[in-house]
Amino acid sequence: MIKEITNFEEFNAVANQGKVLVDVYSKTCGPCKMLGFVLADLEKDMPDAVILKVDFDRNKEIVEKYDVASYPTILLLQDGEEVKRLKGLQQKPVLKQLLEA
Amino acid sequence: MSVSFKSVDHLITAQYRQEQAMLEAFANGSYSVESPYVKLNPYIVCPLSAVIMFNTEEEVEVTLTVKGKEEAGNITHTFPKTKEHRLPVMGLYGDYENTVVLKLSNGVETEVKIQTAPVQDNIGKCTYINTTSEYMQDNIMFTTPAGEDYAAGYDYNGDCRWYLTEPFIFDMKRLKNGNVLIGSNRFIGKPYYMAGICEMSLCGKIYKEYRIPGGYHHDQFEMEDGNLLILTQQAGAATAEDMCVLVDRNTGEILKSWDYKKVLPQDKGKSGSWSEHDWFHNNAVWYDKRTNSLTLSGRHQDAVINLDYETGDLNWIIGDPEGWPQEMVDKYFFTPVGDGEFDWQYEQHACVVLPDGDVMMFDNGHWGSKDPAKYVLSKDSYSRGVRYRINTEDMTIEQIWQFGKERGAQFFSPYICNVEYYRDGHYLVHSGGIGYYDAKPTQVLPAFLDTKDPKTKLQTITVEVEDDVVKYEMHTTANYYRAEKLKFYHEGTNLELGEGQLLGHMAVTEEFLTEVPAEDTGLLLPEINEGKFINEVDRIIFDAKFERGQLVMLQLESMTNDDVHRYFVPTTKQTFLAMCAGTFQESDERVVKFNVNKEGLSGIFKITVIVDDKKYQTGVVVNL
Repeated sequence: MIKEITNFEEFNAVANQGKVLVDVYSKTCGPCKMLGFVLADLEKDMPDAVILKVDFDRNKEIVEKYDVASYPTILLLQDGEEVKRLKGLQQKPVLKQLLEA
Repeated sequence: MSVSFKSVDHLITAQYRQEQAMLEAFANGSYSVESPYVKLNPYIVCPLSAVIMFNTEEEVEVTLTVKGKEEAGNITHTFPKTKEHRLPVMGLYGDYENTVVLKLSNGVETEVKIQTAPVQDNIGKCTYINTTSEYMQDNIMFTTPAGEDYAAGYDYNGDCRWYLTEPFIFDMKRLKNGNVLIGSNRFIGKPYYMAGICEMSLCGKIYKEYRIPGGYHHDQFEMEDGNLLILTQQAGAATAEDMCVLVDRNTGEILKSWDYKKVLPQDKGKSGSWSEHDWFHNNAVWYDKRTNSLTLSGRHQDAVINLDYETGDLNWIIGDPEGWPQEMVDKYFFTPVGDGEFDWQYEQHACVVLPDGDVMMFDNGHWGSKDPAKYVLSKDSYSRGVRYRINTEDMTIEQIWQFGKERGAQFFSPYICNVEYYRDGHYLVHSGGIGYYDAKPTQVLPAFLDTKDPKTKLQTITVEVEDDVVKYEMHTTANYYRAEKLKFYHEGTNLELGEGQLLGHMAVTEEFLTEVPAEDTGLLLPEINEGKFINEVDRIIFDAKFERGQLVMLQLESMTNDDVHRYFVPTTKQTFLAMCAGTFQESDERVVKFNVNKEGLSGIFKITVIVDDKKYQTGVVVNL
């Protein structure tokens, strides 16, 4: 499931429950656009995975909470706690491995 | 046509073609010692060199003299006995009718006139020289690029006697056979990664290009057996400038590698220019036979480290211990001793291990501290050559010599530079990265200054000190990565005819696995993108303009089956905290240069480009 986050409360409601992959992106960034396609492809393989898309420019509270300084940034959360962080564009096998670990 | 395509020969091929043409012209003409065949710039990239050819009936030695503008400027070399004389001429003056005297051992003497063109604009100009011809003799101070100015060589008078018209960059060292090793002119990726290194004659002929999959940067070192240590990184890795490889001199194959990530934490001991990607910034390598170890300079940890050659294990670290884990400080770091002055080095370059085990380096002094609160402004900084004596038994260190601190900010280079050791007390200290803006030492790296801005001033100051007396000092208008004093001619073969070799290999370019859904417009890539493809022997270069943040995917679509090779082309502006060779910076930030290496590809492909959600044709078909 890929869900576009619109506010902090909505984020917390989902992010604090189990394993969640967060994609912090910007609409003005080529690698972010590409990562969007990668995540869509990943969703086909892993339909039960929870993937949250967070627009860097519209979600300052989330960005500050996790101290994200650049995009795209991938965060793997477990019950809201950061477990792993990847910066920059990633290929599907890397993300798949991250979710399966 | 909105997309252009051209095939460009490797310089080795172009040089061989020119050499063959030269030999054919010589064979078809009637040349003699009185009227020899003369070819200016025979190898395309070195305009102040020439080749003179003639035959003699008897074997004779030839003494060739390039006449100086005054007698002290003469450059002379005697070539061994032969009947077939193929003489490289080096050290001509630019924009000058040069006189070359040929004196044969049978008493025959003749003069040849060679007119040269003016030295091109992007060569540093000597603005100050203080030495004597007695001291310098026929040595030339060679300087290698750190910016827009290309490699050059200056005599005792500061006259430019040599330069290259291609961006061969970083370190230049003389090999035991007399040739030089210098970074290849083939740029493969930002900020300054090159395809490999070239073994070259000083008349510009490339004998070998050693290609390294991860690319080359900064430095190389010839081992006693002729094999080469070359600084690189793993192709496609998330980090850079953190690997050294040993390359077979004859085949170009990688024999051994050292990955510093295995022995160093990447987030400790950070210098002021540290970044996650370029965490170590390895800018020098030195092999010490006495201890069978590698000494490596890591600018972004303010550290000179020593590794066991065989195992790669860490032996010691020279540097300010602040910011390192205590267990590492206890095990690997030195404690300063002695009554004299002592300063740690910051963001150093060009470590050299001396015959007695002392370690010399260029201490840039950039930031001047590990603690951001104590960072020193450029105007208050200094750079210097420094010699440390280390005791690896009791892990103590003593500063036994330095030159440059006393000159303060006027000698301050926040990046690049080197030192050379000739004998105890006789050293070269090259401060090659001095920059001013509006008459003040620049706070940003000089490589980032706009050289067209009249307030920008770049400078190198190259000094040789003998027993604490300055015997040589030259200033130029450029920034130059390193300086190296060499003679043009050597006792080996100064010019070998025949085709050069392309050794080693490029990496397989990483493909992107995800397909981008895009509307096939059937149109050519729009003219606004100014798409160009350059086809080289081992890669295709895509050169185009895109707005920042556009999604760009280059595709090689098979003409014979459904295979598609997809390559993500970054259009994001990258910010670098180090720019040791700003030679390849683009003034237009829309410019994108992307290589697809031919390694691993086979077949006939048409090239298409996806820009955001639209797919465009290019009209380019390649047979790989």
